[in-house]
Amino acid sequence: MGIDNAHYYGWQGELQSPRWATLAIVRISLLQVLRRKLYWIVISLGMVQFLLFWVIIYVVTQFKLPGDFQREMHNITGFSPKPDFGEENGYVTFMQNQSVVVMILLAFAGSLLVGSDFRLRALPFYLSRRIDRRHYIIGKLLSISALISLLTVVPAIALFIEYGMFTSSTGYWRENWTMLLSVLAYGAVMCASMSIMIVTLSAYLQRVAPIAITWCSGFAMLNRLSGYLKDATDNDYWQLIDPGRDIRLVGKLCFGAFQTAKDQWVAELAAMILVCFCALCLVALVHRVRAVDIVE
Amino acid sequence: MAALDCAGVSGAVRNASASVRLLMHLVDIHNVSRSYGQVRALRDVSMTLNPGVIGLVGNNGAGKSTLLKVLLGLLTPDSGHGTILGCDILHASGDLRGRVGYMPEAAAVIPMLKGVEYVTLSGDLYGMPHRDAKRRAHETLNYVGLGELRYRKLEEYSTGNVQRLKLAAALIHDPKLLLLDEPTNGLDPEGREAMLELIEDLIAETGKSVILCTHLLPDVERLCQQIVVLHRGQVIRSGTMAELRHDVGNRFEIGWQGDGTAFVAALKNSGAAVSTDSQPDRVVAQFPDGWTSARLFALAREHATVLNLVRPDEENLERLFFRVTEETSGGAKPVSAAASNGAEESRHGN
Repeated sequence: MGIDNAHYYGWQGELQSPRWATLAIVRISLLQVLRRKLYWIVISLGMVQFLLFWVIIYVVTQFKLPGDFQREMHNITGFSPKPDFGEENGYVTFMQNQSVVVMILLAFAGSLLVGSDFRLRALPFYLSRRIDRRHYIIGKLLSISALISLLTVVPAIALFIEYGMFTSSTGYWRENWTMLLSVLAYGAVMCASMSIMIVTLSAYLQRVAPIAITWCSGFAMLNRLSGYLKDATDNDYWQLIDPGRDIRLVGKLCFGAFQTAKDQWVAELAAMILVCFCALCLVALVHRVRAVDIVE
Repeated sequence: MAALDCAGVSGAVRNASASVRLLMHLVDIHNVSRSYGQVRALRDVSMTLNPGVIGLVGNNGAGKSTLLKVLLGLLTPDSGHGTILGCDILHASGDLRGRVGYMPEAAAVIPMLKGVEYVTLSGDLYGMPHRDAKRRAHETLNYVGLGELRYRKLEEYSTGNVQRLKLAAALIHDPKLLLLDEPTNGLDPEGREAMLELIEDLIAETGKSVILCTHLLPDVERLCQQIVVLHRGQVIRSGTMAELRHDVGNRFEIGWQGDGTAFVAALKNSGAAVSTDSQPDRVVAQFPDGWTSARLFALAREHATVLNLVRPDEENLERLFFRVTEETSGGAKPVSAAASNGAEESRHGN
């Protein structure tokens, strides 16, 4: 329709608080990710793992299997949905496995959701509206957190519900309701730490290849390096320089899965390291976003 | 009384006379200064702009961007005070942006989004209820002529369509003031003409106030009723084109047949400031007070020159811009890559 036959209509209404705009950023970000076929491949990897756990819970709870076979099923997935299984807690195992898929997804999504805002100069579009930099950063962190939750927290809760359902009693849910809180807490740790890290990295590197290489090799290299330093110095604390391991340790801490005081202390130390690292990332992120001129 | 409900307006604004003043003025700022470290980007800028279409022109580094940031509520001035659309510039940044629609210079596209989603997001970011934002997105896209392209991904939009899209995104919350930053930047002549027509139509139909910031001075001349010339952080001229042209005085374009070398030399000797034109048989002359046309024709007759053109030389904006910036700089040639017409004028030495 050309301007000859289109007319301008006014709008009269109340503007809401800019806080609500963060939800709009989350909605748009999810839309961006779900429109890319590549991301669906990664998401489907996570779905495959979820379905595997789902099937095993179904088989274990619905059929009377010989003990050896049941143990074998547990060994395949490491899934022991009872909280008194200590370090072998099935939900921890599931979320840890999912975190690998999450890392791959974020390696690609960081560029699309954050890097492109800098690369294509879309940040002025956001910041010249009523929101300020704080809302933008929170919106992007929530967007990444939503992606992480979709692959970790939501399916873990689904497994919890499934296990309770198939044991034909509400006893499982009543006895282990704290497990839900643990799942949420572990999810919160993953969301907070990984979203801050990937948003910061994407804000600086912007393009998909540098982000993916730095993100994945950073985790892998620090993992290797920590192992090497631990072996060389015979000091377990070197393992704490691996952020992936730190997240896992804090996750286990959320589930109360440690048997010894030393393990507990190491996990608390990991939490402190993670908090410090994320705080540094956040400072760098705020600095980066502030450096962008809205009017050029 | 929309101009009075803005948070942060000082108590003095509440009295009746101030109310009238607020409703009359779009921008009313006094002695606004802003520095970046040692660099003073704005120096005691005072201006009172009435609603309408205003062109903001200046060289790079003149302070346009800083002024736009102040107008958008993104920067708080170091000193000075004032109101924009009735909002106190010192306290009401969020409210101010709710009343202003900003069209950035940059492409600012968000990958994987469709046109209608982009404009809806703009409404959401302005704080509109989502349902309203969605409905308005369709309306504004229709208005800017992108109705049929609204479901296309942004990556498929041409530069011209991206400019229209950004205009729709700036219009979505029905702002009282539009800040258009280089709206015709990067467009081919046809696209530029279409964009200017659209802005003209918008101004005519809605009566919205527009502040146009561009390096393309013909665009400003075509669209704007008021012009603000910024130079080295100061407003050096402000007013309508007619008002600014008053400074021109006795400036005439003079043409002749044949060799006019002696005639031009005589003109210079008689006190007129003469500048050569792009054509060899033309000059632009600024005559001192007291000159008459009879004296000019007498001088021509004296040097056997046949004049075929004597007409008042109306400055276009480019010439005007270069003249006033040169005057302010004290003769230093302003640094700009702008059009050659103005550059010739800057060689006047009037």
